[in-house]
Amino acid sequence: MNIIQSIKKDFNTMTLVLIPVAIAINVVIGQIVVLLKLPVYLDSVGTVLVAAICGPWAGALTGTLSNIIWGLIIDPNALPWFPVAMFIGFVAGWAAVAGLFRTWWKVVITGILVALTAAVVSTPISVYLYGGITASGSSFITAFLLQSGRDLVSAVLSTNFIVEPIDKIATSLLAFAIIKGLSVRYLSRFPRPENVLVGK
Amino acid sequence: MSDRLSFYVERSSLLHRLNPLTKLTLAFTLIFLAFFGPGYWLPAGLYLFVLIPLSFLGGVGKDFVRTSLRLLLPLFLFLFVMQSLFYPGGKTVIFSLWIFSVKSEGMAFAFLTASRILVMVSSFLLLFLCTHPSALMNDLARRGAPAALSYIITSTLQILPQMQAKASAIQDAQSSRGLNTGGNLIQRTRSLLPLVGPLVFGSLVDIEERAIAIEARGFMLPEKKTSLIDIPDTRPEAIFRWGMLLLILLTTGYRLWPS
Repeated sequence: MNIIQSIKKDFNTMTLVLIPVAIAINVVIGQIVVLLKLPVYLDSVGTVLVAAICGPWAGALTGTLSNIIWGLIIDPNALPWFPVAMFIGFVAGWAAVAGLFRTWWKVVITGILVALTAAVVSTPISVYLYGGITASGSSFITAFLLQSGRDLVSAVLSTNFIVEPIDKIATSLLAFAIIKGLSVRYLSRFPRPENVLVGK
Repeated sequence: MSDRLSFYVERSSLLHRLNPLTKLTLAFTLIFLAFFGPGYWLPAGLYLFVLIPLSFLGGVGKDFVRTSLRLLLPLFLFLFVMQSLFYPGGKTVIFSLWIFSVKSEGMAFAFLTASRILVMVSSFLLLFLCTHPSALMNDLARRGAPAALSYIITSTLQILPQMQAKASAIQDAQSSRGLNTGGNLIQRTRSLLPLVGPLVFGSLVDIEERAIAIEARGFMLPEKKTSLIDIPDTRPEAIFRWGMLLLILLTTGYRLWPS
């Protein structure tokens, strides 16, 4: 299957109407997490949800637009990070195509893959745009690693490898829990229901 | 939760009347110049002598300065403290306190980074303050961007406040049943599901109806769509946009030129 066909497969009318709801889910869960003062972000649950049942291209689009909307209404600081969100959706989508979204322990693997991607993609953005120090609390780890003699890129990369997995595994598991709560009839209307259904 | 849906402030200024694409091009050009243009003081100069005057021309000066500082001041304080203490390769110590010493290289680097971020965030802020998101999306769709893209953005902006209202209704309902959103980490994690569950499943149920509605209106047809709203564009603006593009090319040339 070539790329054009692969992209087209992801987008039917259900995908189109799911994406706005998924973006809203990203934003609202992100805000609930802040309210509960949990040590994670969980701001890409909707992105991973779309990636799993509609495919990697739809997931990438959801991630990108999610950051644009976040920048539009809450904080323009989110805009330069859109490649991270894009790759989260993209990698989660391919992991689901490869069958890594059917049981909970495979979903943990998806979470790890997504976390590694997010760590690698966000490092150059953090280094070149922000000089390695961003507004999040994890910058203290970066500062500590810099003090202990690491260079900037490896300090930022190590910090990301430390903080990303827990958030992305939790995100993937939450998206998985949502999918488990949906009926087979409902899931079948999306482009890639076979990604999440076991033996049905 | 967020008090209003977008940064947009309605005025009838020259800046508001400009074509959305012109303002988008201007924002990208300013950001490009801030990061790749010549001179240490250029980003700060762009903010003080281009962005702030433009915002007052657009009648949104007070909102612009206040919001850009509110969004960035915490980051900048953090940035200055961390970089002046921990910037790798800092040698010139300004003063020391216990094991911490503030170095001037770190301060200089923090200032450059901060002024670039300031231009990046505030250029977009100015764009969003004087351009309604749906006007921007309509204009881009008219110029050939996929209609699906503008559908997604505009309908997200409609759905989001409804979901936020639903989220706070669910939160009230669950706390009246005794849900505790305080306590230790485990208790707070456990209260996540009763808040998220009803919200997500409730919103996902509406999707099918919406899909049928837009299918019935022929949204997926390949024909070119027409727009009800006319967005004005003028010749001088088109020339201005090409000028901006030329400026970006010149800066790129300056960067790549071996000197």
